[in-house]
Amino acid sequence: MAWQYSDKTKQIFMDAVQGKPGTHLGEIENPDGEGQHGSIVCGDAIKFTFRVERNEDPLKDVIVEAKYLTFGCTSAIAASEALCTLIEGRGLTPIEALKITNQDIVDFLEGLPQQKVHCSVMGAEALEGAVVDWAQKRGVDLAAQGVRLTGAGADEDEGRVVCKCYGITEPYLRRKVKELNLRTIEDIVSALKAGGMCGACRYAPGGLQDILNETWGAGEPAPTTVAAAPVAEGEMSPFQLYRKIEQVIDETVRPVLQSDGGDIELVDIKGWKVYCSLKGACASCMGAARTLQLIVERSLKDQVDERIQVVPI
Amino acid sequence: MSEPTSIYADNNATTAVAPEVAAAMQPFLGPEFYNPSSMYEPAQGVAEAVGRARQTVADFLGGVTPREVVFTSCATESNNMAIFGVAAAVPARKHIVTSAVEHPAVLEVCKEMQRRGYEVTYLGVDRHGRLSTADYVRALRPDTLLVSLMHANNETGVVWPVGDWARIAKETDPGIVFHTDATQSAGKLSLDLTGELKHVDLLSFSGHKMHAPKGVGALFMRRGTPLRPYMLGGHQEESRRGGTENVPYIAALARACELAREHEADMPRIAKLRDWLQEELSRRITHLEVNGLGVERTPNTLHVSCHFIEGEAMLYDLNRYGIYASTGSACSSGSLEPSHVLQALGVPFTALHGSIRFSFSAYTTEAEVRRIAEVFPEVVANLRKMSPYWDQKNNLPRETGPA
Repeated sequence: MAWQYSDKTKQIFMDAVQGKPGTHLGEIENPDGEGQHGSIVCGDAIKFTFRVERNEDPLKDVIVEAKYLTFGCTSAIAASEALCTLIEGRGLTPIEALKITNQDIVDFLEGLPQQKVHCSVMGAEALEGAVVDWAQKRGVDLAAQGVRLTGAGADEDEGRVVCKCYGITEPYLRRKVKELNLRTIEDIVSALKAGGMCGACRYAPGGLQDILNETWGAGEPAPTTVAAAPVAEGEMSPFQLYRKIEQVIDETVRPVLQSDGGDIELVDIKGWKVYCSLKGACASCMGAARTLQLIVERSLKDQVDERIQVVPI
Repeated sequence: MSEPTSIYADNNATTAVAPEVAAAMQPFLGPEFYNPSSMYEPAQGVAEAVGRARQTVADFLGGVTPREVVFTSCATESNNMAIFGVAAAVPARKHIVTSAVEHPAVLEVCKEMQRRGYEVTYLGVDRHGRLSTADYVRALRPDTLLVSLMHANNETGVVWPVGDWARIAKETDPGIVFHTDATQSAGKLSLDLTGELKHVDLLSFSGHKMHAPKGVGALFMRRGTPLRPYMLGGHQEESRRGGTENVPYIAALARACELAREHEADMPRIAKLRDWLQEELSRRITHLEVNGLGVERTPNTLHVSCHFIEGEAMLYDLNRYGIYASTGSACSSGSLEPSHVLQALGVPFTALHGSIRFSFSAYTTEAEVRRIAEVFPEVVANLRKMSPYWDQKNNLPRETGPA
């Protein structure tokens, strides 16, 4: 499937894959900080490492090098590359680096398709893991420094596993739903992958929908996809639209079908959906459905409105 | 040819447990009694058996993913789970489309949904049990939550094009969930949920209509279908249906599904016997109505209505000959009302109470069907002799009978 990546995302990916100078593919030996996120089972995983220039005061350590190994798609690799670029050589201390969010990564890539937002989240999670690792190695008490961890590694995230496929816990979900302003199940799947494999946790009691409802309130009734054809200024009213559809069928479509010994019955119209059934010779023809699609839909699109869809019945 | 001692022609009610199926259950009624959730090795063997059974059922349904199969206790449970579960998951939509001839396991649930504030459209049928696709299309609304239409009718055997209807629902609005009760078609027609039925979201069926014992069924739940489980309390079935797995019966259902694929090859023979009996009865009995005439039916079902006599009396008399069948008459149901299916079909009132259903299985023999053809016309003739609506002398309906 071709995703709509920004040119920048594509460029970063190509550069990384070809190992162009300035890219960050690789692993630092004896790193000062190492963080991982995802797993091969989940379909993508990152191992992120950085090296600091050590100061006598560990709080003044400055990140000088960052590298990654990533198993994943174009955007996972581009997001990893973006993370390293945002961090390396900017004089950031590890604690300062924590301010980089998944949104910064998305912005750096000049946007990510909705389904791919989880790639940027993965990068931010790995960064946090690496900073925690650094803090342990350097004896820094992050909590005492006023750092609140937000990633999957945070202690508070131990809890009931909601999404078993990706091993995602309830506290983590609750926090991320708020933090990333996730409003629908699709948002959660896109950003966190939770519920994206078997889907069993989506509507289970205590599952994704419940977490969304508890976070945001049960909310307005979901909009349904069959609305009456919207009438904008200068557009036909539903009555005029239906008349026009009937007219086109009577004057253009039916004569063509009848010349082959067939006929067409207009059964119903809902919004832009036009329900037709073929009668007579056409009904037994193997190409009946295709005939409808081709002749009827094309005629109606050309002569009435491009938004019309024909549903053969 | 010796006369069979008893003839079971009520396979739409339940079926005999096949010997192969009974054998498949045995290990789990004996040494392999462990809880599949336990960690020790013998229990893991039982868990694997459940996994294999799930794979077999998934194959039977046209090669779906095993996790799309949820084991339940029966089709009634599957239907309840489907309708209540979808409603609980999608509270914004409040309209359900179903038919007037569904099994009570769907109909009663829909009535309960009405009490809970839902609107339900009950689509009617014509004299032979056909439901108009145009009526169906017109019933779909922007707030339609669920369509529940049966694959084959339990009384008449009439088969509906649910695959096509599911497509229409999805093309109208992908948010509409399509459920079908396939209890009467499972084991008789192929259920291809990756082909002909690929737009169906939920499909219920039961083991005991296909030579497994009573007490086991399944719900096919297409991945991504919004459904909130209501049997809570365990992680079994991916937390979609709690409760320790009924392992012997699950093994039985899987074996029955394998067997059904063998029996499928035998269905043309059954259809031929049914068609032969239909012709024979139509020839030998006057004032007989075949319900579902000229319409696609499950191959094993023949449903007829005899004017001026009563169904329960027919059954009772057939019983004398060791022939077991079923009727939709009021007397047999305990409700004083003739079957809702026959009423929906508009069977004439003089025949409404005189209905009888013969339903066969792969184990039905030609000799048995011949015996029915011999006996049943006699039974009808005898009862008509007693009927105040029948002119015995001229063997015709009487012009005036008790009002």
